[in-house]
Amino acid sequence: MKNLTIDVVALLPALLPIGAVIVVLVVDLVTPRLRAVPWGIAAAAALGVVATAGLSLVRADSNGGGGATLCLTGQPGGGATTDRLPDLQGLPATCFWHADALGSTLQLAAGLAALVCIGLAWPRSGARMPGATQAPVEAVLLLTALSGTVVVAASRDLGTWLIALELATLPVIALVALSGRRAAVAGAVQLLVTSLVSFALLALGAALWFTATGSPFLTPDAAVSPGGGQVTYSSVTAGLISLSVVLILAGIGFKLSLVPFHAWTPTAYAGSSTAVATFLATVSKIAALAALLVVVRAVAALGAPALVAVGLLAALSMTLGNLMALRQDDVIRLLAWSTVAQAGWVVMPLVSVSTLGATSSATYLLTYVVATLVAFAVVALTVRESAASGRSLAAYEGLWHRSRWRAGALAIALTSLAGLPPGVIGLVGKVVALRPVVVEGWVWLAVIAAVNAVLGVAVYLRWLRPVVTVTRTSDQPVAATAGPGHRPAIVAVLALAAAVLVVLSIQPDLLLRLLG
Amino acid sequence: MALTALLLVPLLAAVLLLALPSAPATAVERWVALVASGVAAVLSVYVVATRPVVDAPWIRSLGIRWHFEVDGISAALVLLTGLLTLAVVAHALAGPEPTGGSRSTYLGCILLVETGALATFLARDAILFFIAFEVVLVPMWVLIRRFGDDHVADETRGDAAGRFVLFTVLGSTLMLVGILFLVYHQGTSDLTVLATRHGDGLSRGLEIAIAGLLLAGLGIKVPIWPVHTWLPSAHTIAPTAGSVLLAAVLLKMGTYGIVRLAVASVPQGVAALSPVLAVLGVVGILWGGLACLVERDLKRLIAYSSVAHMGFVVLALASGTHTGLQAALLGNVAHGIVAALLFFLVGDLKEQWGSADLRIARLALRDTASRYGFALVVGLGAMLGLPGLVSFWGEFLSLYAAWSPAPGRPVALMRGCVVLGAVGLAIAAGYALRVARIVWAGEGSDQAAGDGATPVRDAHGVRWVVVGALLLAIVTFGIAPHLLLRVSDLDAAALLSGVLR
Repeated sequence: MKNLTIDVVALLPALLPIGAVIVVLVVDLVTPRLRAVPWGIAAAAALGVVATAGLSLVRADSNGGGGATLCLTGQPGGGATTDRLPDLQGLPATCFWHADALGSTLQLAAGLAALVCIGLAWPRSGARMPGATQAPVEAVLLLTALSGTVVVAASRDLGTWLIALELATLPVIALVALSGRRAAVAGAVQLLVTSLVSFALLALGAALWFTATGSPFLTPDAAVSPGGGQVTYSSVTAGLISLSVVLILAGIGFKLSLVPFHAWTPTAYAGSSTAVATFLATVSKIAALAALLVVVRAVAALGAPALVAVGLLAALSMTLGNLMALRQDDVIRLLAWSTVAQAGWVVMPLVSVSTLGATSSATYLLTYVVATLVAFAVVALTVRESAASGRSLAAYEGLWHRSRWRAGALAIALTSLAGLPPGVIGLVGKVVALRPVVVEGWVWLAVIAAVNAVLGVAVYLRWLRPVVTVTRTSDQPVAATAGPGHRPAIVAVLALAAAVLVVLSIQPDLLLRLLG
Repeated sequence: MALTALLLVPLLAAVLLLALPSAPATAVERWVALVASGVAAVLSVYVVATRPVVDAPWIRSLGIRWHFEVDGISAALVLLTGLLTLAVVAHALAGPEPTGGSRSTYLGCILLVETGALATFLARDAILFFIAFEVVLVPMWVLIRRFGDDHVADETRGDAAGRFVLFTVLGSTLMLVGILFLVYHQGTSDLTVLATRHGDGLSRGLEIAIAGLLLAGLGIKVPIWPVHTWLPSAHTIAPTAGSVLLAAVLLKMGTYGIVRLAVASVPQGVAALSPVLAVLGVVGILWGGLACLVERDLKRLIAYSSVAHMGFVVLALASGTHTGLQAALLGNVAHGIVAALLFFLVGDLKEQWGSADLRIARLALRDTASRYGFALVVGLGAMLGLPGLVSFWGEFLSLYAAWSPAPGRPVALMRGCVVLGAVGLAIAAGYALRVARIVWAGEGSDQAAGDGATPVRDAHGVRWVVVGALLLAIVTFGIAPHLLLRVSDLDAAALLSGVLR
């Protein structure tokens, strides 16, 4: 393909984790049973993703529509194109990789979230232990999933998109299974089954897209000008495209834990280790939404009418997720159901199939991701202190009294999720998420969202309540101890995530402007 | 500069207080809180006197500006918040260590509430207003949940605090939906511009819908009957500082929001809904009054009387005239001062009595604590709307305005409401005298035994100064209400006509 242009710098966010995978494997081959080194390499790669995605953001800022690479320049009238890609005639250029502001920001967030997960998974001691260690395997799986996430955010053709999305999902199943607890296997199996179903739906959706547009590209151009002459009737094309979008939405619904595709979420979260649950709650969600946004932005060019299906899914997810979260006493399960509810908020802006909807959705996702990272980091610290009871709400009793900074971080995270000050970013997220709904004029959905904001507040205040109460009896059993593993890595990533959250709460514009 | 400082001083002090370690109670927290609230009080006076403006971009992508300003509508409320918080802090420092947690957290929450309230009254951007509106929730929740009355079960405290937050969040989210509709259709979130547009460019149906959302949302905060049910329990459980701030500052955010957002931006919508408002206001007056006649808990009684008084404010707003708007603003401030005085008094008494149950026979306040007795009688007189005290003017003008409402309002209905509102005034006299009879004159005090027979220690020191200052304000503004009316006169007229001054 001599027409293919490659810009390596733009591809770096994807290349770094893949390179790191190879490095980890080689290191493991040379000196096996290392524990901290593989995670160190993984952390370096995640940092690299953050840095290079940031770089491509800056470049996109400076030269307008930058970030595109792997572009094919079309050859009008060329005979060679007939047996290759039928739709390339006359098109200026079609790129397999396009990391625009939105995509790069999602990549950056994925890198950051992965970094926090790595911090949470950091081994108790760096010393070489007798017997086998899973550290290299886990690091490799995590990096693979990260690279899948990075690629899917920038992919613009069906093949890469599908493969990258699965690449972001499948390693996580192995990670869940490797967590070692008995419940982990159940969670992994559920996750595997739902992933297969979701892949089937996605593949069907992708096939329909190809049928409707005749193009393997997920770009507005492809959606607007059905080439190849396979479909003559524009009404049929529009119908096929909508059907394909609905199927893709259902497929991604599994990964985003939208009701009614959410059933795996609590089991998988509760079964896996805190670090893996964090990964599922953050990086996996970024991958899923990034994939969805690629499609949505392609369809947006059609001026498609608002999707009732999206509104319904959003309303159902919020309501069921919040109602179930209200009944949980295990904080991981609470966070799992909160994910379901927040997924509803994340897709709600997409009722407006437009750039506004896509940006709003991504904004809400990122506020959710940062707040969830902080909450999970606090949970990880608490579990470290008291492994047996650290996951129950009771373990947080008097936290404000015992450790002010940690309680403060948790309070900001929970209020951000609830959308109350001091978590201003969560509040701004709610404003941003409601805006497209208002633009479409869907009062019923806005009112359902308002009611769910109340339910959400009830959910998170239920957790915040023990944090601020001091009961005399509860002081003894969970007294502050340095625990079996005092973990500077967890504290470091907690501080990092909390700092991001605080900065965003003071100046939410930083996040909003990143997304364009 | 002064405006930014007015918001930042309490905020930073609150953060500092919350970050202070709780274990050793030191003098640092007392000084931080006192100095911060003192500086804020001075700044609020300064800001009201000089009327500065802060206008800087904040969230560019959403067009939200960091825009704060004082005008005649908000001036009195800013002063009330600034001065009253100083009183609350001084009062809290004069009392014992709060139960349920450290004093630094308690003071920090008070200052956070002040920050949020000031930001709400000063904000000139609709979405900024909404954000500021939400700031008070979590600290107030902590005040009720953690520092609330420790004589009741933990669940009761949780129920009261949770009800307060959930009701208010529902209200503010509905308001947000209304604001977003308004902002989307008008293309700006600047409250001054929205007020000058005065609803131009909106269809009548849309305007009514937006007004409905805004009024429903803000009505929960006011509170308007039938969504007042969070108020009595929150007031009963909250510590003195919480009750005072809740009654004097937080409720005002609701009425202020109605004036600033709904009346200014969607006047035709409010006009269309004003019969509903008037009826609900009057039902609130009667409902609150009747509840007060039989209520046995003194704090809860004052809370119900707040519902009744806010009913007068709502009725005044429904009239749609300049007098009505002035009456609403005056009634707002008047209720703020009177309710603050009563909650200070009852809080002190409850602290000594151990409960605020009116059925327990106690020694007459008149005999044992004459200062408290005097203050209580003046407070009760203000509660029943005695001429010469500040709340008389709010209620009298409210009924006067509703008797001859703005054109387009159903006159017969409004006059019916006025008659019923006057009945409400009579009921108010009934319950105020009931309280005076039991508490001040000591009806049944010959049966007082046990705790009830222990004389109350009279007001002294800082607490007496606080109470005295409030008494002075009640009488001064009662004799010279034009001091308050003049402040808001021109701005109220401008707001109603939509023509900028």
